[in-house]
Amino acid sequence: MERLMPRIMLDFKDVVSGYGEKNILQGFNATICQGEFVGLIGPNGTGKSTLLKCLSGLLPVKSGVITLEEKDNTSYTQRERAQKIAVVPQSFDIDYDFTVEDIVLMGRNPYLSYRTKESQNDYTIVTEAMRATKTLSFRKRLYNNLSGGEKQRVIIARAIAQEPDIILLDEPTSALDIHHQIEVMELIRNLNLKKSMTVVAVLHDINLAARYCNRLILMKDGRVIVDGTPKDVITEENLKKVYEMKMFIQENKLFGKPEIIPLRVIKESEDYRSLRIHVICGGNKASQVLEELEAMGHQVTAGVINQGSDDWDICDVLGIPMIEESPFTAISCEKQAENLAVMAKSDLILISDLPFGHGNINNLFGLENLKGEIYFHRNCLNNDFTEGQLKKQLEVIKKKKTVNEISDHQEFIKMIRELTLIEEK
Amino acid sequence: MKKKLKKYALPLSIVSCILIIYLCTLTGITAISFVDANKILLNQIFHINVGMENISEGATAIIWNVRLPRVVLAFLTGGALALCGAAYQGIFKNPMADPYILGVSSGAALGAAIGIVMNLSSSFLGLNGIALLAFAGAFLTILLVYNISRVGRKVPVATLLLSGIAIGQSLGAFMSLLMLFNNESMNQIIFWIMGSLNGKGWNQVIVVLPYVIIGCIIMLTSVRELDIMLLGEETATQLGVDTEALKKKILFSSSLITAAVVAVTGIIGFVGLIVPHIVRMVTGPKHRTLVPFSLLFGGAFLILCDTISRTLMSQEIPVGIITAAFGGPFFVYLLRKRKQGGV
Repeated sequence: MERLMPRIMLDFKDVVSGYGEKNILQGFNATICQGEFVGLIGPNGTGKSTLLKCLSGLLPVKSGVITLEEKDNTSYTQRERAQKIAVVPQSFDIDYDFTVEDIVLMGRNPYLSYRTKESQNDYTIVTEAMRATKTLSFRKRLYNNLSGGEKQRVIIARAIAQEPDIILLDEPTSALDIHHQIEVMELIRNLNLKKSMTVVAVLHDINLAARYCNRLILMKDGRVIVDGTPKDVITEENLKKVYEMKMFIQENKLFGKPEIIPLRVIKESEDYRSLRIHVICGGNKASQVLEELEAMGHQVTAGVINQGSDDWDICDVLGIPMIEESPFTAISCEKQAENLAVMAKSDLILISDLPFGHGNINNLFGLENLKGEIYFHRNCLNNDFTEGQLKKQLEVIKKKKTVNEISDHQEFIKMIRELTLIEEK
Repeated sequence: MKKKLKKYALPLSIVSCILIIYLCTLTGITAISFVDANKILLNQIFHINVGMENISEGATAIIWNVRLPRVVLAFLTGGALALCGAAYQGIFKNPMADPYILGVSSGAALGAAIGIVMNLSSSFLGLNGIALLAFAGAFLTILLVYNISRVGRKVPVATLLLSGIAIGQSLGAFMSLLMLFNNESMNQIIFWIMGSLNGKGWNQVIVVLPYVIIGCIIMLTSVRELDIMLLGEETATQLGVDTEALKKKILFSSSLITAAVVAVTGIIGFVGLIVPHIVRMVTGPKHRTLVPFSLLFGGAFLILCDTISRTLMSQEIPVGIITAAFGGPFFVYLLRKRKQGGV
């Protein structure tokens, strides 16, 4: 029965709260059940931390109700609440010389009245908490002398010593390096799985959130935008509503979770004279050059590309018009003609770093009759599977036109920048 | 070895304090022989007659009615100030905090100045009019400061500190004005402000003692919560501390103790600021040890300073001058030493 009816730990109903006159949370609704690992994501200032503050009793709710384990959150005393909810902040510094054990022992405070001294039982719980977080070995050291990752583990140990039902984390990893980020997140996942502790975490790193949480709540302006599994929430459509930027979402094959690759926020377009640039690509090396050209505000086209290649993905995300061919098929004559027609209108043609074979060499046919300047990445010659056809075709082009050779895409970008920069007077 | 030392530190300190009280009672400008002084003490405390024939009544009065109460009062005053300083530094999370930071001293000084100007000399419950007015001034000041900074149920610490300083300054201005128009009382007021234990007896000890005892009990029952307050108010709240209640409790008990002490002795500076820091350097920040050791060390420190102040020259030096003159350099020495140690 218990499995069918999960216990409701937290219920938010139209919660409005904020600082002074300003409302940050503007009607937040959600229900969180026991054993969930919920990630709160969204841009800065959308009320994620405010929500945690309301929950832990630091900030009063202006309207709406937060229900904590079937009782109104405001009906708990601070001590009772601390027995149910533990908070792990972003990072935590103290000006005083407390030892690790002192800090963890403070987690027992909600269970101790001013008369009682810490009992043997309290010390057992504290030792267990330190063992679980691998902080036992330095329990006599001063907290201030620890590294960032060690400090965070101590704070998690303190939270465990509180024996809470719910653990709240406010950006627990943002001050840590990659190794310690993963370490902390795994520690929390263990608590979630082994002790079926309910976890609510504010996370800025969406990839980390997607990887560890089994439910994500995407917030904007103090409200819920989407609430669901990482797969449901991490979509381009959802994230575009919230973050004003270009991004790229793919499935991380290792974890089977969606992964976001942020591209660019601000376009530089106003600073550059716009050119028509066609990029011949189709491998996996042209994404950066495509993205940078697009960002400069040039009218970029691409082709012929096989669908599903990495270069195709990036053009798709950026909305670059392209001539496409079905996956793993040789480029047909029609597509080649189409491509040629597009290139005929281009000011510049870049033959980017891609491998040439019999299937795509026809990309270069007819280039000698175009008006646009031609740039050629030298590395193509190292990935030549055409048995000399590539070289021959280049000779054909070179008879009628200059082929500017480059050895690096950045060289091309730099040249374009200098060529098209609008100088301020 | 270190553990053993820790275990015996408290009883050792208590014994040292009693020893200091004893030795300083024997010390003074009037020459009373070591044997005689001991005889007087044995006679007075344990009612053992050990040949009092050769001892003049004057000597008995000096030991029993002048020196001993003065030394005991010095202990209570120093201990109380250090205790309050430790508690304030804890709840304000500010190393600059001392018992006078919320304007208690200025309130007391203004009250005393009014009493001196009005030439009040009637006394009540062992306190003369001047002391009573000083006590009232101190306590009214803390009430004013508290209510100015209160926002609903909460008292933000920063506002509290600032309004304490602001009120203290304006009360100081009133007192200056009072001194300006009452030239003849100026000396007496200045002397009062500098703080002194001169001429204090058992009456004053009895007045101060209950405040110190109650204060100690309140502080000692709040040690764990005071520790947690050092992590910041938000964290303390999340660890189940009712921070507003704790602040109120500490604020009012400390103010009462300080007001009582200041009313009796005047403003003795430095003890409440420096002693908790010195103790913290030795014992660490935990209030379970900080509170009792501050009390003992503060008491012992003020006894020694007061003994110097009354024996160094034929004219007595206000003890506040001694505390600052000796405490300051000692504190700087400790700071430097700690820095080199890299703790």
